[in-house]
Formats: sequence, C-alpha cells, structure tokens
Amino acid sequence: MRSRVFVAAIAAVALGVVAATASAGQQRAQANKLTVWLQVDAQSGWPEIVAAANTQFQQDHPGWSVDVQYQNWTDHLQKFDATLAGGNSPDVIEMGNTEMTKYMAAGAFAPLDKTTFDNSAKWLAGLAKSGNYGGKTYGVPYYAGSRVATYRTDLFAKAGIKKLPTSLAELTTAAKKLMATGNGKGFSPVYVGGEDWYVAMAFVYDYGGTIARTQGGRWYGALDSPRAIKGLTAYKNFFLAASRASKTNDGTKPNPYDVYAQGSAAVIVGPSWYSCCVGAKYKTTTAQFVLPSHIKGQSMPGFLGGSDLAVPVTSANKSLGADWIKDFTSTSSEKALRAKGNIPNTTALLGSSINERAAARSWFVPTAKHWVDVENGNILKNMLGQILTGKLTVKQAASSASDNITSVLNGA
Amino acid sequence: MNRRRTASAGWNAVAVVLFVVMVFPVFWMISTAFKPDDQIIGANPTWFSLHPTLAHFRAAIHTPFFWTDVKNSLIIVCTTVAISIALAFLAAIALAKYRFTGRKLFIVLMIGIQMLPQAGLIIPLYVVLARYHQVNALTGVILTYMTFALPFSVWTLRGFIINIPRELEEAAMVDGNSRLGAFVKILLPLAAPGLVATSVFAFITSWNEYIFARVLLNDQGKQTLTVWLSSFLGSSRHTDWGALLAGSTLTAIPVLVFFLLVQRKIAFGLTAGAVKA
Amino acid sequence: MAQAEGTAVAAGASWPRRRRLSRDRILRGSVPYVLILPVVAAIGAILGYPLYSLVRLSLQHYGLFELIRHQGQWVGLDNFASVLRDPVFWHTLIRTVVFTAVNVALTIGLGTLIALLLTRVSAWARVLLTGGLVLVWATPVVVAVQIWYWMTNYQNGVLNFVLTRLRIGDFFQHDWYATTFSQLGLTTTLVVWGALPFVAISVYASLSQVPHELVEAAEIDGARPWRIFMDVTLPILRPILRIVTSLSSIWDFGVFTQPFLLITQSHIHPGNYLMGIYLFEEGYVKTDFGRGAAISLLMLLMVAAMSVFYVRKMVRMGDGE
Repeated sequence: MRSRVFVAAIAAVALGVVAATASAGQQRAQANKLTVWLQVDAQSGWPEIVAAANTQFQQDHPGWSVDVQYQNWTDHLQKFDATLAGGNSPDVIEMGNTEMTKYMAAGAFAPLDKTTFDNSAKWLAGLAKSGNYGGKTYGVPYYAGSRVATYRTDLFAKAGIKKLPTSLAELTTAAKKLMATGNGKGFSPVYVGGEDWYVAMAFVYDYGGTIARTQGGRWYGALDSPRAIKGLTAYKNFFLAASRASKTNDGTKPNPYDVYAQGSAAVIVGPSWYSCCVGAKYKTTTAQFVLPSHIKGQSMPGFLGGSDLAVPVTSANKSLGADWIKDFTSTSSEKALRAKGNIPNTTALLGSSINERAAARSWFVPTAKHWVDVENGNILKNMLGQILTGKLTVKQAASSASDNITSVLNGA
Repeated sequence: MNRRRTASAGWNAVAVVLFVVMVFPVFWMISTAFKPDDQIIGANPTWFSLHPTLAHFRAAIHTPFFWTDVKNSLIIVCTTVAISIALAFLAAIALAKYRFTGRKLFIVLMIGIQMLPQAGLIIPLYVVLARYHQVNALTGVILTYMTFALPFSVWTLRGFIINIPRELEEAAMVDGNSRLGAFVKILLPLAAPGLVATSVFAFITSWNEYIFARVLLNDQGKQTLTVWLSSFLGSSRHTDWGALLAGSTLTAIPVLVFFLLVQRKIAFGLTAGAVKA
Repeated sequence: MAQAEGTAVAAGASWPRRRRLSRDRILRGSVPYVLILPVVAAIGAILGYPLYSLVRLSLQHYGLFELIRHQGQWVGLDNFASVLRDPVFWHTLIRTVVFTAVNVALTIGLGTLIALLLTRVSAWARVLLTGGLVLVWATPVVVAVQIWYWMTNYQNGVLNFVLTRLRIGDFFQHDWYATTFSQLGLTTTLVVWGALPFVAISVYASLSQVPHELVEAAEIDGARPWRIFMDVTLPILRPILRIVTSLSSIWDFGVFTQPFLLITQSHIHPGNYLMGIYLFEEGYVKTDFGRGAAISLLMLLMVAAMSVFYVRKMVRMGDGE
C-alpha cells in the first residue's frame, strides 16, 4: 500500500562516528519536552487526533510538552540514522511496517511491554507481526490500509454490468465488456501498472503461494513453486486482458487516481483513500468494491500496509515515549483513525467498510532482516517486467527472481 | 553601422527563441500553478489556463510556518553568501597575486574538497555539529553551506582576478597605496562581474540546498523553504501538484529579485574592459 | 612575483633601510597567509573531523548494528578490495565516464555559445535571456525533476503530445523510462539544462573582460569572426573555461540528485547505475557505511587522478604571467 520511493536529495552514506564523546545517550535530555516523529500523512490527514493525544499526555504528565515533528517518507530514515549516530534522537518514531525488521534486528529500538497498550491482545495479526522480533515487542501498530477496487459506476452501467464481480473470472469478463464500450485510446478497464507488485503478489498469495519461506534460520525464495507460478500466470493473463498501463510502470508514476480522473480507467486498484483524488468530474459516480479472488465469493488477499510506532533505544525519555504511544493508540484514538478511513490496529474495532472487509484476507512481506534490500533491488518489479514484456517465460523469470531473493535475504 | 543593427536583430531573434526553449519548463511550472485542479490532471495538456486560480498560491502561503521558513532561508543564504564571497575574494587575491609557500597545497585543497562526494559527509558532519551544539540551529547550517561554497568561490574568483592586468595594480601603487590597498581599490570594480557571477551561484546553491538543511534542522520553526517544499512530496498519499508548483514558483522569486538587483554589474557588454584608467 | 614586488617598492619612495626592509618584508610576506587564513580555518573546523572519519570508516565493517553501538570492526582494506572486485563497479565507472563526457561537452559548448550570443544582442534581449537563465538556475532540482516528469509522463505528458502533433512520430503514451539509454538521455537533458546558466553567465562575465579595442581593431583589419574568437577572445576566456570545465566534470561525475529523482528508486538497477547512485545504493540503502566510505574515497581518487594533468595546468596558471 505504501508505495514509498526511497528517495534522498543527496545520498547519505551514513558514516557513524565512533569513539570518544559521541557515546550513546550523550544527548542532553530536553528539559521536559518529548519529541515525536510522525509522517506528514498525519499532519494533513488527522491533526486533531494528534492534538488529542498530546493533550492527554500533558494531563498525565504535568510540566511536559510534546513537540511533534513531521517527516517525509523519502528521507526520514536518513535523518534517523544521523540521530542514532550523533544524538538528538526522537522519543517516538513512526516507521513503515516494512521498515521495521531491519532496525529491530540492529537493536535500534527499546523493547516495550505489550500489555500496557489498549487492545494489544487483539492486534491485527499482520500488523503485530511487523513490530515483533526475537519474541519481544518493539513496535506498536498504529494503523493500516488494504487494497480495494475503486470504480466508475456510470461506465459499469453503460457496459451492462449489473452485478459487482465476485470472482476474478467475472472481473475479467467485465473488463472485456468495458473495453468494448469504447472509451478512447489508451483506456484501461482495470488500470494496474505492470510492475505494481503489491497487486501482482496478491495473485500469488491468492493461489496459495508465497514470496519466501524460512527454515532453520535460512530464507528460501518461493516464487518458483507451482502455486506461485499459477498465481503469476493468472496475473499475466489478467493484466494483458484488462490493463493498458505501461508494462514497466510500478503504479506510482503516474498515480492511478490521476489516470482515473482523466477518464482513462474504469477501475483502479489501491488503498481506499484513492477515492479522495478522483477529480470533481467523477466524484459522484465513484464507488468501491473488494477485489475478488479467483475463488468465487472470496476476496483477493490485500497487502496490509501500515505504520508502527517505536521508541528509539537512544532516547532519554523511553518510558514517557511509550506513554505517548499508549495515548495515541488508545481505543478512542483508533476509533477516530478508523473514522478517517484507515484500518484500526485491532480486530476489536474492525467494522465492515470496504477497506476493512478487504483486510479479511491479507498478506505481508517476509519478515526478514534483509527484505528491504529485495524491495530496493527491484527484484520483484524486474521479474514482472520480464514476464509481461515476454522477455522470459513465467517459469524462467520466477526461477531467477527466486534465486536472487534467496541470496539477498540471506545477506549475500 | 547598418550591418551591425541587422546582425543585432538576427541575434535578438535567436535569443528570444533560446529564451523560449530554456524557460519552457519554468513556464510550465508557473502556468500549472495557476490552473484549476481538473486542468492539471487533464488528459490533454492545457498551455495556458483560461480560468486561472490563485487557490494554490493561497494554499501554499497558508501552510503553517511558511513565512517563518522564508525568513530562515533568507537569513541563512544572505549570511552565507556575504561571508563566503568576502572571504573567498581575499583568498583568491592571495592565490592570484602572491607567491607563497603552500600556495600549491592550498589550490589542491580547494579543488580536492569539491571532488568529495557530499553524500558521504552528511552523518559525520551532523556528528561534528552536534558536538558544537550547532544542530537544529541556523548557524550550523550557515557554517555547513559556507564550507561548501568557499572552495568553488575561491576557485572561480581566482580565474577572474588573474585576468586583470598587472599594469593597473602598479599604476595604483604609484599613488602611494599599500599593495593590499591597491588590490582592493583596483580589483574590486574590475572583478565585479566575477564577484556577481560567483555570488549568484553561491546564492542559488545555498537557496536550493535540501539534504543538509533537512538533516540538521528539526524544529518546525527553524526550517528552510526547500524543506517546506519537500513536505508536499513527502506524503505517500495524494500529492497536491498545484500547491507544490505554486510553492516552487514562490521559492524562485527571491533568487530572481537578487539577480535583478545585481545584473547590471554583469551587463558590461560594450563598455567592458573599459578600464581606460 | 618577487620581481613585481621589487618593482612596486622601487616605484614608491626611497629605499627603506635594511632593518625596516626585513620587518616590512615579513609583514608583506605574511599578507597572503592572513588572506587565506579565514578560509582554511572555516573549512578545517567543519570538514576536518568528517574527512578523518571518512577514512576511518572505510577501514571498518560498519552497518546499522555498528552505527547504533558507535563501534565498528576493523577490516583493513577489505572494503576497498570488495568494491574493486565487483564488476558492477567497473561497468558503472565506464558508464559514468561516458555520461560525464557527453554532459560536459554539451554544457560547455552550448554555454559558451550562449555567452557569445549575449555579447551580440541588444540590451533588452540580453536582460531577457540572462533573466531567463537565472530563472532556470533558480529552479530547485527537486522541482525541476517534477516538472520533467510532468512533461515526459506516459499518460498526459506534454512532450508526447507535442512530438505527436509535430508528426515526428507516434509518441502516444510513449514510456520514456523504459530503456537505460532513454533514462540517461532524459537525465542528460535535465542536468545540462540546469548547468547551462552557470556556464553561460560565468563565461559572459569573463567575456566582459575582453578589451573591446582589440576586437574592433581586428574587425577593422577584416579578420573573420572565427579568427577573432580564436586569437583574441579565447586566450582571455581560457582561465574561466578551464575552471568551469573542471567544475562541471567534477560535478557531473558525481551527480546524484537528478538521475535518482528522475529515474526513481523503482527503476534503478545495476544496469543504469551512475557512480553517485552506486555510492548511495551500496552505502546507504544497504546501510553498509564502511563500504560507502570506501566508495567515496575511491571516487575522490578517481576524479583526482583523471584531472591531475588539468589541475597541474591550473595550478601553474598565473605563474610567470
């Protein structure tokens, strides 16, 4: 869901400085000020929820103020690395759930007592996993989002599609009908970027395959298993039938909702908040449905992207940081987050919005220390590109990607 | 004379075409900043909106801390440029007009520093500044920018100063000026075009610098405009293109103003080399 | 230089006595050092430790784990060996050299032409063009990349639109980011576009130092423009041209921001690495900081080696002139 592009204005080869004075914990404890790093998503999306948490915290800890500093996805890790090396770490930091494992493995976070947080017994499994390492909890799930299909009700009506598709086959038929209703050159019935691996991998998991599995401390790429290959083949057929997006596009540039707003797509697949940006023209003729599985009646597993909150080990106010997190992920806070269209962190609060129903079946990336390297090495994307352009057969591409994944995940 | 005028007209035309080609992307940015949202994402590009809107500019200006960030950027950049150019000018005089031991080493240092990939220095620099308590402070950023501006400023100014004929210095010294005094009096006006070009460059590089400002400054109230701009792109959600491009347009204005103030010094043109002293 | 000093002194009043001469000479001798002291002090204070730490890190195994504990493991030259053994390093080096050569040639060539143009146009055109150049210069890279993306995008980019309309071919939904050549080509246009203003304005400023009488005299003699350029203008431009060429080469070799933001992390892979990006990917993205430091130093050495001949010329520039 969170298709972050790890961008930095200039590279940061993080060179930690060593020895002497720059020892851990040398930072002067800011006199009664708690520093929290949240992403700009919170600043634009739900600033009042943040304010409420701050008020609660200040009530519980008189004399303390909270300084929330908003970060960009593109460079917040760089900044974090700098503070780990030189001091002034925040007391709470928001991390993407795929970013967590690497930092947990390196010992960047302080362990937390799970029981002090609201609803922790019923945390969403997919989210909770990302905050867990070696049996200890380092990250508290904050919120999540799944993938849904956003569609044009008027185009569906025009194509004579009476019922929303409940299986992949029905969706493909619907796509063919939409294509026939003639909506201009470059129109995609279902706009999916060829290399949008969040969508493609869903097919793999739908057929029972997986990206990688671990055994005895080693990781093994599993995309060349028969089930995974079935899934990839299903994806290839679906893409060729339903999408006119570029085969080498990964779904971020252009944004699918921009394509939708131009009228060049009848269905787009992505987080539920895509409906915000479909443009004034189609706002009233837009609705969402859960992407169907190849098994009739079931939903396609959705990637459960989300954020966790952690306390850096170099913070001088660790227990206070944990308290702030408790306030920010309290039941009332999570209810408010849900009202904003997010998936809350606990099954106890799950409702039946399209977004939440899509989360009923979900998948997550392998929780390996080096998973981030697989993502950044574009292994999955390259594989998809090769498959769709026909450069390699599904089997060949999957096999080579699998080998690649095996070596990267094992730290080669 | 006639031939020169027509030649001028022909060249003028070329200049205008060149202007259009070079500035097109900037024009695109500015014109998009005035477009209503549906024209921004429309399938067919709109060259110039017939229903321009100031909504994006308003949205940009009303983001929190906008004016604070403008102030911070101005303080940082003006200080950096003023100090850097002054120091670099003196050092360039030394390099260009004096012979002293260590001169070659100094030159190598000036070039060598520019060959360093800045990327590798971000975290060590952060650690050093943290030690002097210059993290999260405008002065820390100024020191950093100066460190990067000085080498190329010294280097570039040296090139301009070398060209100034020695006879002029000696002429000035007949008047009883000390050597250094002579330099400053004579060289300053002659090196003016070079000083201006270098200071414009220092201004722009510092004004647009992003990564060090991002890493070194934490408080919302201490950040620069480039960091402010980046927050439009930092979200994983919808990018407000209109506001981003409006913000970018605003960010470019001070540079343009600075240039217009100093451009006459570069426009020597036909009266150039005219130190008919 | 000593000769010049002597002349200067002689041109002044009477010969100073021997004792004053020594003291004056010491004072005068110290002038250059005083002049460069502020620069050396500023740079030394800020960059001294980072440079030292860069070297230190290159000799250590230093990942995220070590970063948090502020303690690395000494591995001697292993980092350097590993980089030099990596075929990706060598391919990237060659690709970057070619990229740099193309970019520098375009930048300096076009920049000089623009500067010459500026000397020939009327005042209003000069202000217009210089203003345009500064406007280009003033555009932050982050923004320029967004504009470039905007113009070249697959769905509704103006570039595809214009090229199709001009009937140069069918560029409907042409994906400009599909091949390495195309990606680096677009990066080149972006880099050169952003670099032209500095070169054009610097060369133009230097042109203002060309004695006009000489040019007029040559024109009256009937010399053709090319000859005038080669014999009168170029010698004066030589110092500044050397400088901007060296600066451009150094910057273009290590360029990072433009290719990274334009091609984006999604499409970057060892097949289209440039040195700056290679440094970032190996050192930062994989958080192998020791290796990154080694690559930084190697880059420094390579650039230094490639420009040693050039640098020597520039260092000598001003000697005996």
